[in-house]
Amino acid sequence: MSWFNIKGITNPLTALGQVAKKPHTIRFPYEEKPAAERYRGLHYNDIDYCIGCGNCAEICMNKAIDMVPVEGIEPKKGDSGLRPRIDNGRCCWCGLCVDVCPTGSLSLTREYIFVSPNPEDFLWMPGISNPDGKDKRSWRSNDLNFSINTYEREKMPMLDPKERVKSFAEVVLGYEEDQARREAQRCLSCGLCTEACPEHMHIPEYINAIAWGADDDSLRIIYDNNPLPETCGKVCTRRCEEVCALAKRGEPVAIRWLKRYATERALNADEIKEIVNPPIAPKNGKTVGVIGAGPAGLTVGYYLALRGFDVEIYERNSRAGGMTMYGIPKYRLPLESLDKQIEYMKKVGVKFHFNTEVGKDISFDEIYQKYDAVFIGVGLQDAWKLGIEGEDADGVWSAIHFLRRVNEGERIDVGNRVVVVGGGNTAIDASRVSRRLGAEVIMLYRRRKQDMPADWEEIEDAEAEGVQIWTQGIPVKVITDEQGKVKALRYVKAEMVPDPRGGRPRPVPIEGSETDIECTTVIAAIGQSADYSFLPEKYHDKVKMNRGRIIVNEWGQTDDPKIFAGGDAVNRVADAISAIADGYRAVKGIVRLLLGEEALKQK
Amino acid sequence: MADLQKENLLLEVLKNHFNDKIFDLKVQRHQRVHLRTTTEQIEAVLLYLKEKLGYKHLSHISCVDWIEENRFELVYILWHPEDKINVLVKVDVDRLNPVAPNIDYIWPQANTYEREMREMFGIQFPGLVGRKELILEDWDDLPPMRRDFDTLQYVMENFEFRSGREDAQNVRETIAKRTGEEIPEFAKKYSR
Repeated sequence: MSWFNIKGITNPLTALGQVAKKPHTIRFPYEEKPAAERYRGLHYNDIDYCIGCGNCAEICMNKAIDMVPVEGIEPKKGDSGLRPRIDNGRCCWCGLCVDVCPTGSLSLTREYIFVSPNPEDFLWMPGISNPDGKDKRSWRSNDLNFSINTYEREKMPMLDPKERVKSFAEVVLGYEEDQARREAQRCLSCGLCTEACPEHMHIPEYINAIAWGADDDSLRIIYDNNPLPETCGKVCTRRCEEVCALAKRGEPVAIRWLKRYATERALNADEIKEIVNPPIAPKNGKTVGVIGAGPAGLTVGYYLALRGFDVEIYERNSRAGGMTMYGIPKYRLPLESLDKQIEYMKKVGVKFHFNTEVGKDISFDEIYQKYDAVFIGVGLQDAWKLGIEGEDADGVWSAIHFLRRVNEGERIDVGNRVVVVGGGNTAIDASRVSRRLGAEVIMLYRRRKQDMPADWEEIEDAEAEGVQIWTQGIPVKVITDEQGKVKALRYVKAEMVPDPRGGRPRPVPIEGSETDIECTTVIAAIGQSADYSFLPEKYHDKVKMNRGRIIVNEWGQTDDPKIFAGGDAVNRVADAISAIADGYRAVKGIVRLLLGEEALKQK
Repeated sequence: MADLQKENLLLEVLKNHFNDKIFDLKVQRHQRVHLRTTTEQIEAVLLYLKEKLGYKHLSHISCVDWIEENRFELVYILWHPEDKINVLVKVDVDRLNPVAPNIDYIWPQANTYEREMREMFGIQFPGLVGRKELILEDWDDLPPMRRDFDTLQYVMENFEFRSGREDAQNVRETIAKRTGEEIPEFAKKYSR
């Protein structure tokens, strides 16, 4: 029965099973079919998240991406103000730009149809040309574990907290070579950090030199505009790391520790000189006097000496370094490290007069007459007072005097319980030093922990060492015993009240919440002020002051063209790197004044 | 999660049959088995998997350039339609003398993959029949998928820039200019 097959009739009936199903044919009116979840279509860039680091443009193997300024986006610290523009005619949708984007702002979309008769139209700004792409994002670098960037920092070896409090040994041990190389290789070299650095150090360059194994070049680049790199490598406030592109979603590159690594390759002053080997100009016959051998004064001394000036630095203490010598505890910046850098400066030709206080051992007038230019870098020597009852009692210290005495090698008896008032880096230093002197330490701060101006890493380290941080407490009275010694500190609790003008919340005392802390020592670390008594009256109308700070122009110059100033006495940031930046600015100012504009251009 | 009974059974069978001729034998995850072998053994392994164990389908052959270790890695991906298992067979090929056996008599579609690898990585498959050119035209440069081929340099030499792109800025230079930073000449080779 080959001419009759029942299947010929039944088989077509199976099509009836499809009746209720949605057909695969194109519908009318036309329905758009979305592309796959991870389809690699046209780019989208979240303009507000983008920081203009340019890594997308750098990695593109087809040179399809340009960085261009965009109207309405102001450049600021941590944002170059540029945004990517893509030539879609060149793009091959490999997605490397998305993978490398440290902020995760750049993505591909499911949109893949773009037609235009005009070839110029294929050049467009993702995110600006296609604002609706936000809802169609497909290929994104969401999973940081699978990123081609490394978001985790190389861990810094440190002393155990229990060991730390036993001595003043240096806490941070420094990177080993392989660690430094790995950490340096994380850097994307965008250079956003250089803008945040007051001194604008050449950060991507020296980090790349470390990554490529050229430690000597790295040190040379560092010394190009920072004469105290080892100090900065250990104690810098590192505002560069705050704006690091990797910090948007991970941990910033350890810029400070890498600088430290590079400087520690040179073991002594001779080795620094051998490696850096800066060209020293022949003597030009000009002389400059510097008052204060702090970071600002040393910077002026070093770079002017390299340019052939005769520089002499007057320092009232027996050692150079200023606050980095007498203010910073030795477990953060050991004496040998500082001495090595000063020794190197002497080799370059900077002359020092130690134990010579201007205004006492030598008058300011004499210096003014003797030199072609004068630089004032005296810093802030006096401490602000608490302004409360009983603060003259025996056992009440100001932090800078306390730290100074400890750094001079004195062993101060602080008793068994110390209260440190304040929340800045100096307060942390005083607390950690007191712990090392064997006392139980309480830090009393009037705002909340997140308002503390101290470095978060320092706060963590202090807590690890057993410093207790009591917040929202305002001291009101020091209670003394019969001999006039500190017995307790009375404070009131405070509540945080939002500032109606939009500033940070203010602490307001709560009535009747007075509490006493029993203690043997109170250390006040609430701020410092300058002492300008060395400056005779007749200079005051030229060297003008504003709230305790000397006013200078863009060259670090006061109204008297011969007098320059810098450091904590000028800027309000009051850290080592800003002082160095002030010094470097004054170097340019002094060269311009004494040798003319032309000399400034030669380096 | 399904148990890995089928996968482990396959491991046993392969281990018993090939002994030390295959290594790195492991179950990577559900439905995926991984093993390595040598260029001498690859045909035997593939034939055994296809003819005796039912891995009828060759999904793909891919190639990885491990330039630091001076080797290419060929990955043969096989599929068993009933057992639903992928087998990844990996073979290392010397990078300086990249020769691998031709297997297009086992699976005819391997011919296309091998021609592509010959063109893109420069791997030779003795006895492979097919035109030298698959995608590229008149190519006399280094095979372009090799990692030592400088794509960027090729692009810069061969393609013109579209007009209207002259205003592009270098991020590092823009920032240095804005802040007045003077990057010394000797340091510039470390800028990106």
